Amino acid sequence: MTEPSRAEALVAGATLREKGHFYESFVVGQVFRHHWGRSVTEADAVLFTTLTCNSNPLYFNREYALAHGHRDLVVNPLLVFNTVLGLSVEDLSEVGGPFVGIDGLDYGVAVHPGDTLRAESETMAVRLSRSNPDNGLVTWRTRGFNQRDEQVVEFVRTNIVRKRDAREHFV
Amino acid sequence: MTRIAELTGNDNYFEDFHVGQRMRHARGKTVDVTENVLITNMVMNTAHAHFNADVMAGTRFRERLSFGGVNLSLAIGLASQDTSENALADLGMDKIRLRAPVVHGDTLYAFSEVLEVRDAERPDAGVVRFLHCAVNQRDEIVFEGERMVLVKRRSHWGDK
Repeated sequence: MTEPSRAEALVAGATLREKGHFYESFVVGQVFRHHWGRSVTEADAVLFTTLTCNSNPLYFNREYALAHGHRDLVVNPLLVFNTVLGLSVEDLSEVGGPFVGIDGLDYGVAVHPGDTLRAESETMAVRLSRSNPDNGLVTWRTRGFNQRDEQVVEFVRTNIVRKRDAREHFV
Repeated sequence: MTRIAELTGNDNYFEDFHVGQRMRHARGKTVDVTENVLITNMVMNTAHAHFNADVMAGTRFRERLSFGGVNLSLAIGLASQDTSENALADLGMDKIRLRAPVVHGDTLYAFSEVLEVRDAERPDAGVVRFLHCAVNQRDEIVFEGERMVLVKRRSHWGDK
């Protein structure tokens, strides 16, 4: 029997660094200022738009966007929405289940390549699920802003969120 | 010099939409790692249900789930040539519901219905409100939602 290597000892002895929040962490009125932020590049914007088969040239043809009064390509608002939602996931829904619905999704000022997005959310509603005792339902209003603090998107999201003592884990 | 009106279709200006019009869009797209994992990671979504096949093998889903934001964006994309190719702006969405999980290999097809057409604050465009949905290869609805689009009027933009 050989001595465990340093790496084997590390794997055997490591403590899990948990991420995310359980249902019990959410109370109405709490505010999250989400991590990281994200600068949106032209590559992000055009790749997202072409991969999702979106055919509005404002989102991939600079000359067309300029001819419509924009200073550059317009970043597809669905990428803005997805990025702001993505930045909110660790705080809001990483240990949850799938998101159930989005209401009141409104786009704000146009986003252009090079702009930097950040996200914040407020908890709007917290309720237990009668049909699904391992999980609750939580609703948040999430807002995204650019580097000038102009609002670029807002929406209300409802998610299934796991309780700390859930018997069956989604993941 | 290309005229800008030559870059887009001529059957999808504001004047072409009427309430009750229902459209089945021509192309479907199969969701794969390229769509789900790439976009999920690109937008900083940290939920590894979308990108960790090992952990998902131990769940009732057995495999990675495509991120709902990707599914709805693809549905809108598949609908876009007929509904917003001549849009000046996407204004927003509402009543978005994700009805069924999507996994790699599923193919999405999009449908749209015109719910409302109205004047905009500017004279060169109007607002169209659509109901969109997407079905998978088994005709199960995976997404539905409303979307508001500011669409050019042919009267102002058709000869630009």
